[in-house]
Amino acid sequence: MDKAAIKNELVKMLGRDKVLTEDLDLMYYSYDSSFLTKLEPANPTAVVMPRSTEDVANIMRLAFENDIPVIPRGAGTGETGGCIALRGGIVLDLSTWDEIIDIDAANMQVLVRPGVIHAKLNEELAKYNLFFPPDPGSSQMCTIGGMVANNASGLRAVKYGTTEQYILGLEVVLANGDVITTGGMKARCIKNVSGLNLTKLMVGSEGVLGVVTRVRLRCWPKPRARGIAMAVFDNLDEAPAAVLDVYQAGVLPSGIEILDSSAINAVNGFKPQINLPQAEAILLFEVDGNPPGVEFEGNIIKEVVGKRARTIEWSTDPKRMAELWEGRSITATAAARVKADGSRVFAGEDISVPLSKVADTLRQIRALGDKYGIKVVNYGHIGDGNVHTAPVINPENPEEVDRVLQLVDEIHRLAVELEGTTTGEHGVGAVRRQYAELEHGLAVKYMQGVKDAFDAKGIMNPGKLF
Amino acid sequence: MEFQKLPPVKEQIMKCVRCGKCRSVCPVFEQIRNETAAPRGHVFMVGMLRDGVVEPQPEVYEKLANCLLCETCSVNCPSGIDIHELNAAARSYIYDKNPSAGKELIFDTMWTRPGLLRTTTMLMGGVQKLGLQTFARNVGLTKILPGDMPKAEKIMTNVPTRSARKQIPKFNRAKGDKKYTVGYFLGCGTDLFNPEIAKSTVDMLTRFGCDVIIPKDMKCCGMPHIANGKMDTARRLMAHNIKIFNSYNLDYIVSDCASCTSALAHKNTEFLLGGLKIEDEAKLFSDKIMDLTRFMVEVLDVKMPEKNVTRKTRVTYHDPCHLANAQGIKEAPRELLKRIPEVDFVEMPGANTCCGGSGTYSLTHYDLSMKILDKKMDRAMSTGAAKLATCCPSCTMQLKYGTERCHWDCEVVHPIVLANRSCQQALIKK
Repeated sequence: MDKAAIKNELVKMLGRDKVLTEDLDLMYYSYDSSFLTKLEPANPTAVVMPRSTEDVANIMRLAFENDIPVIPRGAGTGETGGCIALRGGIVLDLSTWDEIIDIDAANMQVLVRPGVIHAKLNEELAKYNLFFPPDPGSSQMCTIGGMVANNASGLRAVKYGTTEQYILGLEVVLANGDVITTGGMKARCIKNVSGLNLTKLMVGSEGVLGVVTRVRLRCWPKPRARGIAMAVFDNLDEAPAAVLDVYQAGVLPSGIEILDSSAINAVNGFKPQINLPQAEAILLFEVDGNPPGVEFEGNIIKEVVGKRARTIEWSTDPKRMAELWEGRSITATAAARVKADGSRVFAGEDISVPLSKVADTLRQIRALGDKYGIKVVNYGHIGDGNVHTAPVINPENPEEVDRVLQLVDEIHRLAVELEGTTTGEHGVGAVRRQYAELEHGLAVKYMQGVKDAFDAKGIMNPGKLF
Repeated sequence: MEFQKLPPVKEQIMKCVRCGKCRSVCPVFEQIRNETAAPRGHVFMVGMLRDGVVEPQPEVYEKLANCLLCETCSVNCPSGIDIHELNAAARSYIYDKNPSAGKELIFDTMWTRPGLLRTTTMLMGGVQKLGLQTFARNVGLTKILPGDMPKAEKIMTNVPTRSARKQIPKFNRAKGDKKYTVGYFLGCGTDLFNPEIAKSTVDMLTRFGCDVIIPKDMKCCGMPHIANGKMDTARRLMAHNIKIFNSYNLDYIVSDCASCTSALAHKNTEFLLGGLKIEDEAKLFSDKIMDLTRFMVEVLDVKMPEKNVTRKTRVTYHDPCHLANAQGIKEAPRELLKRIPEVDFVEMPGANTCCGGSGTYSLTHYDLSMKILDKKMDRAMSTGAAKLATCCPSCTMQLKYGTERCHWDCEVVHPIVLANRSCQQALIKK
């Protein structure tokens, strides 16, 4: 079937308002937030906006019969090229399919379609004193479907974990158009060990196994109080040690963030009025729960971390908490502005290493930045060893692009060498699949076997993950 | 200046990391919901234009023009990109390669000649008064108008038959001790559609010690031209207005119109005229530009006449994008309203979301504009207010139409009009 015939068939199936086929329209789907698609945007053959499981199943059957790649896409906020049609094909824009089907407060769960925006879901759940804890920085724009596909998390993963822990079941349309339900056709139960766990297999599979069309999410009671501590360190090594001290004192904060000296300088350079203290590192601890518990744990953090930090300040006052958190909240933005003609590059941005090696990792990344003559700003979720590295270059200067690509390759390899991984929460997509062998060895062969079982023709999001 | 060399085009496109934050705040995207309407998509497309990957064709213009230029994306952009400037510059680049006789007539022949524009508008008012607009609508004559105009002509209701300029002298002396000499930038929307705002502005300024000069030869601020791909014309208008206003010895130049002050403020003059010879004169001019409510509150610090009001009127406020987003002015209009003894001020949810008017957007994209308006009206009506205040003639026109669509008995009014009425009533009581 040629391109024109595919387009006609899709229009016939879904109606003109749910299909984009003009070349100009398709260009808008050639990118996500990855550096890769800045360098090499790739247009799909068509974009469709299905609004029912049946729509998706019909599209899959058409694609299966005609060997057309299918690429599911949420809000396109990913940083890996995961939703890009690298080899042409049909992009399923699922972001308009944003129905919250059922908030089942009695059973602490919610059933949604893939296009629901994370922040909007939590707005609705708040009415029932519930929340869906994973908290990505892109909460205002990312979709639940995208979070499932990438097993997303965020700064509260240290306490609440990642998306996979909250998925009770999924509806998935497979490459041949079959519709399966994982976690049980009727199951609303919280505990469930029946059958092979296809739910966990699907979460984080980045669209290479099927299209997630319905998600049953577990929700948790919304914490009533919050407190924040800011600790300033003269010695970088003391920062991860202080984190360990806090854990050993029996406290599990809801967030532990680090800004190293590069990030402190970036924040102060961008907004001098914030005036973060000059230091080797700043740690921010967030504690949530009920008010007495928050106060109790805050006091422990103050006492324990105070032994290692130059200064520590604890607050539960909303205004002061916002001030303490301000430096962290603008770090990503500030990073982009450390170079006048520069832009922050989303590449090599998401490594994860053991807590005991965070300080060493930060030092080595700094050295690599010096080696390649590139400004690098480091911050991240130190509580779980997830370091966000922000190289800043002029992306329109080919020589700088070449250097940064070498830099991020070294950063990825460094992470693996330090017993970590190339990605903690952003995913693999097209940009990190080259490290699959290095990270997984023989297991890649079995991953391929699993994919073949679900997608014999290899039409589901080709060129991604491994 | 050549499109590719314009500062935002040269410096800002590469800063976009396509994080998608703009998707979460854009009122047009909220309605269309696909990437072709995302502000980051516009930045991407401007980059494609700059690099010659796409040609400056009308269909690209259509994509870019489906944007209110409300600047919500720009103020929320983590990378600090002036997305609206990129968009406007690209529209102009494409338009220059694909000029249209209709636009030349409207934006160059008419909208650069205040007299002609006034005569045409007043004729429209006459037509309405004679019932000919209704007649034309009933017999289907309005359907011959291009694009969305047949639907959108309904928005322009109750055009006055006498413009503000015909009713207000050029020079207006301060009552009592003079504090400042103020130039009044009387924008087209106020002059032609809202003369009461102009009269209230002059009354209030003179009452609180200002000599007010309304230069006879001033022209449009250029905002409609910027939005419609006519940046060169906007530059010419800007240069003309700078020359006219700089010929007077003024302490301030105020305007009741958010779009005018936004067009004339330093940020925009820099965008339009940056690098050109006129730059110093432009700075002298734009440094004096100030929104009227800000001038009343922050410079004049007006004290309203004290009185005992037994029954206050509930008033809510809509933030014009060109005031709140473009100039960061949110407090001054609210403060002015709160100082009026008769006003019981109540905040509406989402006060700073666009009303969908945006100058000519409601005329060119009527259906989308109405969807955005309906959302706004739901929020405004939830306050139970009897008056809906705002500081922009375009918003005023759109919101008035919104109250009619919703059958909501609510006056859409500029804060300065309410302030003036309060002062006048105090005088009558004395």
